[in-house]
Amino acid sequence: MKNILYLLIMALLLSFTACQEIDNWEEPSARIYGNVIDKYTGSNLLMDQNDWQIRIIDRTWEEKNPGAVSQFQSLAVMKDGVYNNTKLFSGTYDMLPYDGPFWPVDTVKGVILDKETQQDFTVTPYLQLTNFKATLNGTNLTLECNVKAPIITGLPNLYEVKGFLSLTTFCGNSNYININEYNNLRKNINKTWAAEVGTADNKNYSLGPFPVKSGYTYYVRIGANVNALSRRYNYTEIVKVVVP
Amino acid sequence: MKIKLIIFTLIFGFAVSSCEELELKPKGILGEPELFGTAYGVQKYFVQSYMKLPIEDFIYYAINSPSNNFGYKGYMPGNNNYWQAYKNSLASMSGEIYGWNVDIKEEGVGYWPYDDIRIVNVFINNFSNYKSKYDDATYNSLMGEARFLRAFFYQGMAKRYGGVPIVTEVQDPVTTPAEELQVPRATEYDTWKFIYEDLKFAMENMKPTSVTGRANKYVAAALMSRSMLYAGRVAKYTQHLGFSADAAVQGGFAGMDPSKANEFFQYAYDAGLLIKTGPYALYTKNYPDKATNFANLFLDKSSPETMFSKGYDGLTFGHCYDALMSPNPDFSSFVGAEGGPVLQHMQLYDFPALTDEQGKPVRFAKRSDIKNEMEPRLLGTCYFDGDELRGKTFDIQKGIYVKYTGTAADAQNGSNAAPINATANRKLGNKGDKYNGVLITGNHGLHANKGGENNAFMGAFIRKYVDVNRPAALANVNKSTTSWIAFRLGEIYLNTAEAAYELGKRTEAFDYVEAIRERAGCKVTRPAIDQATSSTYGYPVEASLQFIRDERGRELYGENHYWWDLKTWRTTDQVLNNRYLRALACYYVFDEGKYIYLDEINRDNRTKTAAKRSAYEKIPQGEINKNPKLLPQNPLY
Repeated sequence: MKNILYLLIMALLLSFTACQEIDNWEEPSARIYGNVIDKYTGSNLLMDQNDWQIRIIDRTWEEKNPGAVSQFQSLAVMKDGVYNNTKLFSGTYDMLPYDGPFWPVDTVKGVILDKETQQDFTVTPYLQLTNFKATLNGTNLTLECNVKAPIITGLPNLYEVKGFLSLTTFCGNSNYININEYNNLRKNINKTWAAEVGTADNKNYSLGPFPVKSGYTYYVRIGANVNALSRRYNYTEIVKVVVP
Repeated sequence: MKIKLIIFTLIFGFAVSSCEELELKPKGILGEPELFGTAYGVQKYFVQSYMKLPIEDFIYYAINSPSNNFGYKGYMPGNNNYWQAYKNSLASMSGEIYGWNVDIKEEGVGYWPYDDIRIVNVFINNFSNYKSKYDDATYNSLMGEARFLRAFFYQGMAKRYGGVPIVTEVQDPVTTPAEELQVPRATEYDTWKFIYEDLKFAMENMKPTSVTGRANKYVAAALMSRSMLYAGRVAKYTQHLGFSADAAVQGGFAGMDPSKANEFFQYAYDAGLLIKTGPYALYTKNYPDKATNFANLFLDKSSPETMFSKGYDGLTFGHCYDALMSPNPDFSSFVGAEGGPVLQHMQLYDFPALTDEQGKPVRFAKRSDIKNEMEPRLLGTCYFDGDELRGKTFDIQKGIYVKYTGTAADAQNGSNAAPINATANRKLGNKGDKYNGVLITGNHGLHANKGGENNAFMGAFIRKYVDVNRPAALANVNKSTTSWIAFRLGEIYLNTAEAAYELGKRTEAFDYVEAIRERAGCKVTRPAIDQATSSTYGYPVEASLQFIRDERGRELYGENHYWWDLKTWRTTDQVLNNRYLRALACYYVFDEGKYIYLDEINRDNRTKTAAKRSAYEKIPQGEINKNPKLLPQNPLY
């Protein structure tokens, strides 16, 4: 009786090993990386981590499988404007920086991914935020910057100017102290550039005072957006503020 | 013994093999001849479609589909051993009522009713075989009814997705090649035109009267009025979203050319004119009490204003509205109030000033004095302190100020950080707590403890659709029998008014608005036409057009129209942009012996924000996997 039981257990255990099947797909190994460059400054676009994504569409898949329609994948862009993905299948791709805080760009067609590929994108931001100043007065923080629109013709409504405070070096719309006390200090505009600013190409905005806590280190910046697609922000650089 | 066994075996063997083949047709199954051959059969056949029409009623889940909803995708007919909470309704999602936390779900619940459309298509394609059994009028009317049902399902999709595949044939999944089963997406224009054609046929062929719960030509016209108004708005305002570079927009699958707008507004307007010739009238049975009249309009099942309603019997099909709109135990035997009216919406009506010229809170001798200046329609829509229901009186107060000397702004919308709200001066408490012998809060709220529902979160309760004749003991799970009014003349008037205004018939538009406001008991029934434009919501809108839009907010409050209205006006992301839902908080000022009302931010500091992509819902990924011809996906998904 016992023997039969052992045999059964043995058979059961063996049956598990019988399920092994070898996946005949090679691991995706192509790498694509690059920078998203601000046309005006020539350096990388200021953004927050994963604010928006680059869409890539695998056209090789469609060639290999007639009738199939590839759908896009999204590549995250890091806060320094760099993107890097090392787990893609090699092939021919179309790429499109999508829904970012810049004028729409054309799809870059026929990017060939094979081992290592660099593909940079140059974009024209909707807004430029310059002369950023963070002034600390006791425990009151005031933020100030110039919002400039390099291209005014066809610019969607200027939507809002908002201060972002964070306790980590990551600061922006994905990482900030999201409390009403701070959020209420944003400037909600939603007007055309002509109605809000007039004929000039820039305007100074001052936000605050933000009540901050003594003994904390804040990382702060200002973001401004226009009423386009998902209203992503153009940012100033991040400034570190130590509250004594 | 052995012989006996053999004999038995033989007999048994023969007996088994001698069975006749069972070829008798089961008599309990109704086939096409039985169903399509008589008007009663057709009625039975249509029941399954009527049950599943995309009517966002008491039991519609805007934000999720519970696991046991049998694939109904938001619409959940029947009790299904599940009670449906109104806190999950569209009204709650779009910030008309405030309750438990309901996030906005832009991508929708994956409504994709091609199975229901197939059922209607079977009828439309095969009914002609039975034409000889009917006189022409009946035949045409039934055919028209089927087209109405099909249009209803398509309208449920068009308002969500824009263009969808148009299927008019009954496909056989076995013999049809996959290529043909995958019907590509039609453009948004073609989709709305298809709905138009179906409804036009229905309006021309259906009978003018029907039993409650079934459609007639005027109901078809009502659906036409609403759908074509949506289509006109979509055509006119989608351009302002900034989606023009998107593949779905460029292909015409999401959005239409603005030049098509007037075509659709005209259809909506014409449908409104047809309905005016019908047997319906605004509800005025309870005049001169306009507040009660407005409340009873939703309860009276013989109301001449109701055009089409969805009924509940409280046994097989019931809902929980009464159990979940008023607090337990005085008014409900279940959880109690799960949502209350939001102050922004209350202030759309004629509403008393809460502050005087200096910005100080107005003093009221009694709490219920706040109702003196209110529009009767608001009193018919919400319950305030002092109102009676089910033999009990609403008792609503938030707290006590020992003294209040400053302006209303000093209270900083109820923030604990405001000096005047220091615990020494502002007393908050729970049920029964007292300060110097005076009750701090009302019986029904607003209580300080945040846990749980059943509290006058917002300073008032919903009255619309609450059944006054239902005793508190029977205000329980799935017991409510109030019908949901899918179409009523009041909505049609406002549809027609908006369509007329968009077509430049401004004076005529306000004739309809006046009729509505007259019945509502507004102070000003016919405001002067003001063509000054403002861009509060992202694109220029004439002040009077905005007035008509707001009139929808007042008249149709809580009827699950607001979300679709915002969506088709293309203003969801503008109106619901970090929007604080505000509460009406009543305090007793101790040293004066008077009451004040403050405008406070909701107790959880919660805001509503809709992303821009909410203009369209996401085409369900599962459907795209089955049919890649549904691509391109809607913008921003």
